[in-house]
Amino acid sequence: MTQSDLSEHMPEASAEPAIVIDHVWKYFGSLPALQDVCLTIAPGERVVIIGPSGSGKSTLLRSINRLEQIDMGSILVQGKNIQSDENNINEMRQNLGMVFQQFNLFPHKTVLQNITLAPRHLRKLSREEAETRALTLLKKVGISDKANVYPSMLSGGQQQRVAIARALAMQPSIMLFDEPTSALDPEMVGEVLDVMVGLAEEGMTMICVTHEMGFARTVADRLIFMDQGQIVEMGKPETLFTSPRHPRLRQFLNQIL
Amino acid sequence: MEDKKEGSKANIVMVTDGASIPDPREWRLINAWSIALAGAVCALCMLCVLWPEPYLRILLYLPDGVLITFKITLLAICCAVPLGLITGLGRISRNRCINLLASTYVEVIRGIPLLVQIFYIYYALSRFVQVSGITSAVVAISFCYGAYMGEVFRAGISAINKGQTEAARSLGFNRYQTMRLVVLPQAMRTILPPVGNECIAMLKDTSLVSIMAVPDIMQRARSFVGTTYLYFETYTMVALLYLIITLLLSKAVSIMESRLNYYDAK
Repeated sequence: MTQSDLSEHMPEASAEPAIVIDHVWKYFGSLPALQDVCLTIAPGERVVIIGPSGSGKSTLLRSINRLEQIDMGSILVQGKNIQSDENNINEMRQNLGMVFQQFNLFPHKTVLQNITLAPRHLRKLSREEAETRALTLLKKVGISDKANVYPSMLSGGQQQRVAIARALAMQPSIMLFDEPTSALDPEMVGEVLDVMVGLAEEGMTMICVTHEMGFARTVADRLIFMDQGQIVEMGKPETLFTSPRHPRLRQFLNQIL
Repeated sequence: MEDKKEGSKANIVMVTDGASIPDPREWRLINAWSIALAGAVCALCMLCVLWPEPYLRILLYLPDGVLITFKITLLAICCAVPLGLITGLGRISRNRCINLLASTYVEVIRGIPLLVQIFYIYYALSRFVQVSGITSAVVAISFCYGAYMGEVFRAGISAINKGQTEAARSLGFNRYQTMRLVVLPQAMRTILPPVGNECIAMLKDTSLVSIMAVPDIMQRARSFVGTTYLYFETYTMVALLYLIITLLLSKAVSIMESRLNYYDAK
């Protein structure tokens, strides 16, 4: 996390990359979802992935913590191959926080229990420690007054902020966001993005699939445009937005802006 | 939220051969359940008061059998529910061997009538092992209902949104922890009514064990008939007794079900 200033200038040059995606292929049946994707992400880097639906951006994100099995290539997280049987995927996932489009909070647990479940069972924290940590996180995402209610009583924006707190409770060094605001009513998008911007300012390594171009512009160190399972163009967000080189990116930006 | 819940319930085939579980949200005083219960209790009381001989005598003769019926049912539930859970988990297992084993068990058991299974365990297997009537009754009913409940558990577990599993796995839980901490507690709610239903059906099916001279309600009635030849009177009382028991139990399941709805938005 301390290397964030350094990575801003030269993301590739850091000692050990946070994530190395190396010639990755993934098929759904005979349909290629990822085609020869290569990407290296430095610690502390904020990467935003954009692209039309079906372009493979969610698949790429989900491959990083092996929610999707890749068919060829390799993915290293902090130097460890996630495919290898030598590395325990469950332990590696504890270091990779993930936030889903549909929140996926546990409906049978209160907000507090949602956040403390993993730290108590996996990090073996005592109840008090876990709850103290959870309350700090709830304060950070701005809903400390909802600790003891069930998720069904919360708005979408509140649920997604709880989901972010739940992921952060495991103190991961990398956070993956899979379209975190796409299922939200427009008036709730801002509150979730604010939390994410705050997280980015703290130097968290973040990979975010989103359609929020304003967020991409302000937060991303690097913007990646994917189409048809390939990384078509990447670079500084300003460069991509103002002078896109590839015709497909130009067409995409015309459609959404 | 309401639509979603209806949808997830519709995924489970709720039609079983047990008493129907009353809807916990049903608030009207007069409904099928209350009419049936009031009717049965009234009929029972009227018969006993107006014609104590023979009805009251029959009623007093049966309670020993009620205890045996409950004992067999309880023992069978204690075996069948864990067996059903294991079968259900086996049916969704990705391990081909376990999956085949569980599926074959379900196929075989579902294809043989319970009465034949009871005969088979009590009479046919007596060539190899001698077991008491009650033991073979419990074993036969447990195996039979274990298979049915396996299907209920499988359906209940499959109905839980895949996102729940993904969220738990992405936090670092392994498959076992995910099942135990996240999926099963949620599945319990959808599973409880059909499992309760199966348990009540089980209680009714224990009447089959009377053919092995196990002194349950039915066998007590048969021995009463054997000495008095009061077929109509005796079996009327037996029918009313079974009806009242199953109606009360289905209400109990319904109350439990409403308790499990605690985390829904009000």
